[in-house]
Order: sequence, then structure tokens, then C-alpha cells
Amino acid sequence: MTQSSRCPGVTRRSFLVDTGMGFTGLALAAMLYRDGQARGTTTDGKPHHPPKAKSVIWIFLCGGVSHVESFDVKPELTKYHGKSIETTPYKGVFDDPRIKDIVSGNPGHGGRRVLMGLNTGYKKYGKCGLVVADWWKHIGECADELAVVRSLWTTDNDHGAQLQWHTGRHVREGAFPTIGSWVSYGLGTLNQNLPEYCVLGTPTGDCCGGAWTHGAGYLGPEHAGVRLNVGTDQPLPFVRPPAGISQEEQLANLSLLGKLNTLSGIDYPEDADLRARIKSYELAFGMQTAVPETLNLSRESRATQRLYGMDNPSTRPFGQLCLAARRLVEKGVRFVQVFHGGGGGGAWDAHSGIKANHGTLSAQTDLPIAGLLKDLKQRGMLQDTLVVWGTEFGRSPGAQGDGRDHHPQGFCAWLAGGGIKGGVVHGATDEIGFHAVENRHYVTDIHATVLHQLGLDPRRLEVPGRKRLEIDFGKPIYEILA
Amino acid sequence: MKQLLATLGLVVLVPTLSARPPFKKALADLLHLPTASRLNDCRTCHLPGTDEDRPHNAFGERLKKVRAELKKAGKSFDITARLLAIADEDTDKDGVSNLLELLAGHFPSDATDRPNQEAIEQARQKQTELLASLTGYQWRPFDRVERPALPLVARRDWVRNPIDQFVAAEQESRQLVPRPEASRVMLLRRLYLDLLGVPPTPDEVKAFIEDASPLAYEKTVDRLLSSPHYGERWGRHWMDVWRYSDWAGWGEQVRDSQPHIWHWRDWIIESLNEDRPYDRMVQEMLAADELSPSDPKALRATGYLVRNYKLLSREKWMQDTVDHTAMAFLGVTLGCAKCHDHMYDPITQREYYQVRAIFTPHHVRTDRIPGVLDTRQNGIPRVFDQDLNAKTFVFTRGDDRLPEKEPLEPAVPESLGGKLLIQPIQLPREAYDPDRRDFVLREELAASERAVATARGKRDEEFRKVQWSLLLSPQPLSQIVSTAVERQRNATWWLAALDYELAEAKYRSLQATIAVEQTEKSSPEWETLAKAATRTQRQVALLEARKTAWLAKKDQRAKALTSLAQAEKEAQAADSVNFKPRDVKVYPTTSTGRRLAFARWITDRDNPLAARVAVNHIWQRHFGRGIVPGMFDFGKNGQPPSHPALLDWLAVELMDSGWSMKHVHRLIVTSATYRQASTPTPENLARDPDNVYLWRFTPRRLEAETVRDAIFHVAGALDRSMFGPDIPHAKGLSVPRRSIYFQHAQEKQMEFLQIFDVASVTECYVRRQAILPQQALALVNSDLVLSRSKEVARQLGGDDPAFIEAAFLRVLSRTPSPEEQTTCLEFLRARGERGRENLVHVLYNHHEFATLR
Repeated sequence: MTQSSRCPGVTRRSFLVDTGMGFTGLALAAMLYRDGQARGTTTDGKPHHPPKAKSVIWIFLCGGVSHVESFDVKPELTKYHGKSIETTPYKGVFDDPRIKDIVSGNPGHGGRRVLMGLNTGYKKYGKCGLVVADWWKHIGECADELAVVRSLWTTDNDHGAQLQWHTGRHVREGAFPTIGSWVSYGLGTLNQNLPEYCVLGTPTGDCCGGAWTHGAGYLGPEHAGVRLNVGTDQPLPFVRPPAGISQEEQLANLSLLGKLNTLSGIDYPEDADLRARIKSYELAFGMQTAVPETLNLSRESRATQRLYGMDNPSTRPFGQLCLAARRLVEKGVRFVQVFHGGGGGGAWDAHSGIKANHGTLSAQTDLPIAGLLKDLKQRGMLQDTLVVWGTEFGRSPGAQGDGRDHHPQGFCAWLAGGGIKGGVVHGATDEIGFHAVENRHYVTDIHATVLHQLGLDPRRLEVPGRKRLEIDFGKPIYEILA
Repeated sequence: MKQLLATLGLVVLVPTLSARPPFKKALADLLHLPTASRLNDCRTCHLPGTDEDRPHNAFGERLKKVRAELKKAGKSFDITARLLAIADEDTDKDGVSNLLELLAGHFPSDATDRPNQEAIEQARQKQTELLASLTGYQWRPFDRVERPALPLVARRDWVRNPIDQFVAAEQESRQLVPRPEASRVMLLRRLYLDLLGVPPTPDEVKAFIEDASPLAYEKTVDRLLSSPHYGERWGRHWMDVWRYSDWAGWGEQVRDSQPHIWHWRDWIIESLNEDRPYDRMVQEMLAADELSPSDPKALRATGYLVRNYKLLSREKWMQDTVDHTAMAFLGVTLGCAKCHDHMYDPITQREYYQVRAIFTPHHVRTDRIPGVLDTRQNGIPRVFDQDLNAKTFVFTRGDDRLPEKEPLEPAVPESLGGKLLIQPIQLPREAYDPDRRDFVLREELAASERAVATARGKRDEEFRKVQWSLLLSPQPLSQIVSTAVERQRNATWWLAALDYELAEAKYRSLQATIAVEQTEKSSPEWETLAKAATRTQRQVALLEARKTAWLAKKDQRAKALTSLAQAEKEAQAADSVNFKPRDVKVYPTTSTGRRLAFARWITDRDNPLAARVAVNHIWQRHFGRGIVPGMFDFGKNGQPPSHPALLDWLAVELMDSGWSMKHVHRLIVTSATYRQASTPTPENLARDPDNVYLWRFTPRRLEAETVRDAIFHVAGALDRSMFGPDIPHAKGLSVPRRSIYFQHAQEKQMEFLQIFDVASVTECYVRRQAILPQQALALVNSDLVLSRSKEVARQLGGDDPAFIEAAFLRVLSRTPSPEEQTTCLEFLRARGERGRENLVHVLYNHHEFATLR
């Protein structure tokens, strides 16, 4: 293959020596070549600068979580509950020119004018005194680990913004590399038996980016997120050897395969494809046990399981994912993307009944996420594991019946661990949470921050022939770095 | 020097003298020097000034004027020609010629900016190189294709046809030695996989080896090219380029492409098998509705455009249509000019929207096909011009919210030459009024007649029930009628009778309505027929009202009775001609002719790009790499060709053969270049590691479909039946049809194929061929391969050595080497009972199984 890396210095003889040792002996030779695929000219799988984090757990809540009722609480809404914005001191928000930044996915969304009071209580947490809504009280207990960014904005007012959160591009522009695929492309794996980029939970629905939200666009399928089905018999397609085939039998087969491949490779010295294939069988063989083993949560103590809420039917499903994420990161997986409420527009899309909707969903997720932070911390893993909590946009300060509408003009996310400063708030929306007004950040600034902590410079992750726009790169949010 | 040549060729893309950045860059690229940064300066040609007003200096003036002189003399007047024409002049009279000054990195119109003697000497050296390079083959992708002369080569005995001459010339200038011909079995396997997408069977291998005729290979090529499975293999290739997609959506809602688009897939396969000329195929895909409006078979071709349908965004729909049409047929990234003038190629933003105007009027619909009344069941999705007056505007900065004031006329980019000759097209009646085609009328009447028969049957059956209950009942009739049960039974009968009457009335009404619709309004019978239609329609309305009244619940009864009274009154009213026409859609009677004009412009002999792009696609799928490696960008930002003259020669061959793709295939696969072994030599590998100059056949991984099809085929299990509706992707591991017939849409793709990098639905000009552990898992652990392994093991008999030989021949199309025999024998002896199926399973996982060598 013309795309493949070549291995100068490997003579035909040394190739045969390396590969002639049966299946397991192949490992040594093959390990030297990370995956037999060239990484383009601008990356060699090494960081560009000393990294602060090794892995990322990227939690994404589909549908749009209310920012004003999570980590950017706005008491002014309660004060002006039921009042039209025009009659409040904030009447100017619709005249703001930034309102035009929105590339309308669905013009029906937006423009809710009658303010709605908060549907949940709130209080201060931690030494930093971070204000967090009661719906997120468990995460609130970890306030001193969090850096909350309250000034995010995006341009899609429909759920295509889910794709945008992951690639930085509007859904109309199609598939582009996601943040996870850039990490895989830039750094590669720390574990030869597991995929570099894993995806847990039900991802974004077809309507809103679908598989593109964990794809790799032009970086190629080897950098796409690999979906793992936690709690099922087949966590990865074809990962289980069929019934009736013992490991001994499989190894004997693979050993024969190694010998035959070597024999037929005699005339093809320095064949990168053959090397890649030999290695792919080793990885596959390892994955057969490593993937189910890593996802076998019963290995964890009762206390740990309880920390993630696995003893409670409401928190168990998401608790499993959070625990699986930790186990994957522990084994060296670079990027774990954890979806909650995927499919359709997303479960958090509370156009009506927000109180019940967000009440239920936060009860499913708040404790497991807090459990994850606490568990990482107690294991000393938080310092090099970067956890990101995000959603595609916030929810409107104005009421839509007893719900809130989409709100791309201002919303929040938080980061923790991996060299992020704890207990800080960066940026702000206005008093009713309408516009991001202070230290505004487009979604790719989060990407840039993540890459920076991993030791990567997004501007050096160009692929020849693929034009990247200024908006793709983003800028690291230095203010929240420890 | 090679690179200089390449850039030189591209320079001619710049048609005007406006010194926008690409033009400056063109100058710099032409001279390709360390001084380029200095050259890429306005002051080379301009006096100081503002951005709006920067007059030419003396050199710039001269460069501008010489254009007219050259044009008048009938010479080429592109920027290279102009520069060379004034190369020896000395505009600033400082004693150093213009070209030398430029090559030395100095301004030719500034006497104070004179290079020193050393710089002049260096520039002389560069001048010699430059002039030498200009005598080489000029790659001018935006100029008409001319047949290049065949180069003279030393290795004449290697050459089988002119392709080899071009290849040998490049090899010889790089001291590359071509590899000898591959072994016959390897060649046969290569040919089968390449042309049919399945490996040869053992019998086919044996027959080929035993064929002693010197033309055995050529005969095989002809046989495979006339196999119907050639169309399936190459159809899939072209489906990649033309973005085949089955419909996708949310639930039942169609958001992308259209249901039944597989008719287009079948058209592609049929067309390739018939060797339908490529130019005709392009014309039919873009404009069959204008070219052959009465031919439903041809209309299937417009699936090419239908595929771009996008419920949620007409803007994106149009954008995809324009961008991919330009990339697929012309190798031009026209889409870059959506928001601004193209940064590299001579295409303005305005021209982008002028091309878009060609497509602005078109829309999609589904036409009925004989035998199926309901287009949800089947039908032909096709395009037509819906809005003949739709206007196209330039969108400021590409933003569809900011259209400019004045609408645009359709046109093609000036730099590509030629004109769009648009003739509006009068459509035949069957095209604009498809629901009045004979078969539709016939089938609607037949359906209505069937409804009458069904209703009659129902009534008779209900009547029999009533009769029997009367006969069997011991009670007097009056009592029977009075019981609730019997009232209900009678009601059913009565309703069935009414339904029958209604069905008959509807049939009569349909007949009468069709009759009047088929008659010219001016004819003497029209009025009589119209009155008859009205009468029958009133009768239907009356019966329907009666039925409604009968069924009405208490609270709706009053309203229903009023309606019934109204219908009765209508039925007795005076005759009228106000019948209701059938509820059918009628479309515009003319088509703008824009798309046909565009298709004819693309496929015109003078179009510089269509044939070049087509042969490049064909070449890439035979060799794994295009002569121009960036398949969709022949412009200045694309990669230069490795064999420009060969590409031009092939393009001329394609056109001169009447656009026969099979002719091009035949040339390629019978060449010595194609027949080479794929094994490397250290010397060649050191000189050309990526095999750009084709000193061997590059081995590569098989495409997803070929891997899956071969798994079935090797076990003799592949169902070779062709065509038909897309098969649900979830059945991919159990239904042994060829992969091309399975559902292929966003989120509706076969997982097994996805693991092997199946074409992206939205864009796939080159298949990715990664080798991943997920593929190993799929081959090792899937029941697909395990079951086939068992089948093959069962089918093959003999003692162990014979079994091993037969298994190799089956799965890898070759016999094992002695070492392989020994290794496998040891394995069989050690593994016992399941050894044989395990051996076959291992061969399925062998590197060679999924590799084209």
C-alpha cells in the first residue's frame, strides 16, 4: 500500500527471523510498528509538548441540559418569573447582534420571551463556594475539582449541535473528525489489546449527526470511536469466539495462520500490509479477552459499585458506563466517550415538563458522575485523567409551556482532573443566562483545551490536503489550567 | 525538474490578467525558485498604490499587451507563453533580460534593482533548466485533450501496448526495472477479482493453466468482460463515485435519497454490461428526462440526481448536486467557489452559482411502473424540471440568507471552454401527465373492477348467511328481525349490499371520468361525456352519503342526514359538465433543457476534463492509485499526475472508441504493466518505494464487498441472481446474494462491510483499505466464515495432502508450496477430527485471501 509506512533497515532475513517464531513470537516484531499505517506528515504519535493528562473521559448528555438549572444558576429568573423579557431590565437580549450567529437548523426554535423561574433549588458547594443546582448535588460535592466554563456558545439551534459539539462543524457541513479521533490520531494507544477510542452508551440519533458524532471523518476508520456495549454479551462485534471453539483450538489455528502468512510473505519483504495484518490478529486475539474482561464490572468491590450507584435501578445503567469508562482508562484507553440519553433529539430535550424530565435524568446521572470523580480521585487517577461534562446547548430562560426551548447563545460545561484547575468558574452569561457575555468560547475551545492537556497542539494536527478552518482549532482556555 | 514541469502545466489555468493571489502564485510557481517569495510581490508587475488602484509598471504593461500580439498571431497566450515571449526583452534597460531578472529574484522593471554578476550566472543556469523543462510533456488539464505521441523507449520487447510505452519511458528515466509477468494462477486470480469481484473456481484455474493457446489470457479477458458479473463489480466502483445511497430517514420519513433508488443501481449494472458509452451514461444520469422522456428504463439513470434529495435542506441538496457533479465528472472542486472566487482554479463565485442555475428548476418524483399502482411499493424515482422560472442568485459569502439582487443565467465556467447550448424541450404527454398513461388507466380500471368483484362476493356471502339464519330459525320472521343479533346481521348484509353498489358506481364513475379526460374539450362528444361523468360522480357521492348516514352514531346522525339530503338533491339536479377530474399530478409540459445542455457540454469532445477524469477513475481501480492521485481535483490544488501523457492518451482512446469503457479495461489489463508480478526488488523499492512509476503491480487489500462475496463464492454458496430491491442490511450474513444488492444508506449498512471500510455513503472517490483488528475478529469469529469453512471441508475429500491442495486451490486459487504442504500436514495430524475445517478457516483468514496480489 502506498499509504503504509515503510520500515527501512528491516531486511528480508530479519523479517523472517522476527516472524518465524509462531503466533506469539510475532508480537515483538509487530509491536515496533504501531499499526502499519502512516500518520500523515505532521504527527508521529508523540505529544508536541509535555502532557498533563493521559486519557479523557468525555461525558455527553444528549438533548440540551438546562444551564440555568445546573452549573450556571440564575436566581433572576425566579425573580422575574412569568414576566415578559421586555418588561425586565434584560429587554435588550433579542436586539443583540450575536443573535444572528445562529445558523438556524429549525427556525421554530428560539424566541421564548416569558421568563420561567428555576425548577430546582441550589446552594454553594466546596471551599470555592461554587453554586450548583440541587439536581446536581452529588457533583456539587466535587466542586473543588471542577472548572466550570459558563460562556459557551454554538451556532445550531437544533440537535445537530450534538455533532457540532464533537467536531466543531455545523451538521450541514457533514462529517469531520471528532475530538476523540484527533486524540487517537495524535497519540495512539497505551494498550495493545483495546481500541484507542471507545464509545459507551447510546450515541446521538441519526437525525442529529448519528455515527458522525463518534466518527473520524477524513482521519480514517482506524481513528473512529469503537462502540462497546457495556453489560451485554457482545461488547464488540464478533468479539466472542463462537461456542465450541476452545482457546487452545483458536491458538493452534492462529499459530498455523502465522506460519502460513510468513511463508507466503517470503516474496514480499517489507510489506506493511502483511505486518499490519499480523498485528491485527494479535490485537484481535487480545481484544477477545481484554474487552470482555475490562467491561466485566463484577470484578469491582461492592463499595466501588455503590459509589457509581450500581445498587440502584435508576442510577445503575449510567453508573455501569461510568465505571466501565474508569476501567478502560485504567487500561490505557486514550479517549472514552460516554453518551447519556442518545437517540432521537436526545432525552434531555425538555420542551415540556422540564421539572419531571431534568429531575429524572439528573437523578440517573448525577450520582454516577460524582462517583466517577471520587473514584478517580481516590485511586490517584484524576491527576492524569481529564473528565469533561458537556451537552449540545443550554435551555431557554424563557418558558415554552412548562418546559424550556433550545438555547445555543449561552450554556455551560465543566472539566475536571488532568491538570485542570479545580474550584474555578470561567466566563459568564448575562443575569438571565441568555447570552454568553464574558470570555465567550465556541465549542472548539474545549477541544483545544483537551488537546493541550494531552500535550497536543491542534495546529500541528493538520492532515495534508485537508483544509482546517480557524474555527476548527479553537484556543485552549489557559485560565482554567492548573 | 519533475515538479517544475508539473507546476508549469498548471500555470495555464489562469486565464485573465487580474493579479489576484493565484495569479501571483502562478508566476512564482512557474519559476519555482527560492526567490518565489520575492516574486510573489505586487511590485513585480505593479506600481505602488492602494488595493483599489495599483497601476501596472512597465513590465506589467508589457505582459498585458503581449497577450493581444500573441492572440493575433494565433499563438498560445497563456501566462507562460506571454512570459516567454518577453523573456529576452529588457524592460528596465539595465542590461539584464526580464527572465534573468525574474529568475534572480529581482524586479524586471526597476533599473535600480539589478542582480549582481554571480546572481546572473546562477539565473542563466536556471534559465537553461526552465527552457529544457518546457520541451517536456505539458500537463494542461483545462485544455482540450490531444493524442500525445508515443515516447521512444529502450525496453521495446517488454512493451505489449502503448500503455507500456508511456510507463517504460518514466521507468527508464528513473532506472527502474519492471518486474516479470506474474505467475499464471496469480494473474488469473487478479483478473477475476479485478473484473468480476470474485476469485476463480478451481475448475476455472485448471482450465486456464491447461489452455496452451498463446492468447489464453486475452481470451479470458474477453470472457470476463462479457460476464454479467463484470457490471456488478464495476457498478459498485461507479456507485462509489456517483454516491449511491438507498433512502435514509427518521422512522418512515424519507430524508435522504428516495425509496426504490435501486432501479438506478440496476441501470448502472445493465449499462456497464452493455458497454453503454460513458458519454451517454453521463447524459442519461444528468438528463434522461430531457433526452429520453418516454423511456422509463433510461429514466432510472436520473437516480444519480435523485440521490441528492434532502428533505431538510434544499440548500444542501443543491450544494451536494453541484459539488459532486463537478468533482465526479470534471475533477474540479467547484464547491470551493460557493463563498468566494476559487482560490486556486480560474472559477469565479458567480460561475459557481451559474452552474447551480442549471439545477435550480429540478425536483424529484416517483413514476408508476406497470403492475404496481402504489408507488410506495415500487416505482421509478426520477427528476424533472418542476419550476421553470425558479431563479438563482449569488449568495453573498455563500450565505443563503444573503442573496444578491439580480438573478443569474445558467452557464459553465469560462476557463473550461465551450458554451452551454440550451434548448427548452417539449415533453411528450406521458412525461408530463404520467398518470394518464395507458397502463395506469388500464390498471386503475382493473383495480376498480376487482373492487366491484370483491364487494359483490362480500354481499353474496352476507346474503347467504342471512338466508341460512332465516331457514334454520324455528321462529317466525317478525321475531327474528326483532332480535338484536339478527338486526346486526341484517345490517351487515345491507351494508355489504351498499358497498357493492358503491364499488360499482365508483367503477362507472372512473370509466366515465377517464373517458371525458381522454377527449379533447373541443370535440363534439365532450359535453355528453362530461355530463355523464358528473352524473356518475353524483351517484358515488349519494351512495357515500347514504353509507355515512347509515353508520353515523347518534350525535352525528343529524349532520349526516343533512349531507344525505344535499347529495340527493344534487343527484336530481340538472345535468352539468362540472365533473371533478381525477386526483392526479400533472407536471410542466416543457423542461428547461439546461441539464441536457450541461451533460452535452461535459461529454463534448472539446471538454478537457470528462474523459481524463473517467479514465483516471478506471485506472485507479485497476492499480490502486490514480494517475492523478486526487481523483476529484485536477486543478491547481490537486496533486500532479505521475504519467500525464499516458492519461491523455487513454482519454483519447476512450473518446475515439466511442466512449467504450470495456475498450479501456481491455487495454489496461492486457498491458505488460498490469501483468507484472507484485513482488518487489530492493533496488526498485529504494528508488520508488510507493510504486508510483509502476515497476510492479501494487498489492492491496480487497474491498469490503469482494471479501464478503468471496467468502460465499469459495464455498460455492454465492447466489448469483442479479438485480432487484435492496435487501435489508441485517440479512447480510445469512442471505448469500452479492453485497451490491444490500441496503446501503447512512446508518443502514451492513456491519460486516463497514468493518472492511465499505464506501462512505456521502463521498467515496477512493476506498480506504485499513487493516484493523475488528476485521480479524469478523473473519475469525463470525459464523459467516465458520459455516463456510465447514461446508468447504465437507465438500473436499481425499487424503490429507490432496485435501490441502484442494483447499488452497479453493480459497487462495493456487496450490500450496512444499513448505506449506508440510506445515499443513503437521497441523492436520496434530489437530485430528476438526483439523480440516480449521485448516479451511485458517485459509479464509490468510493474508492472501483478502489481498489482491
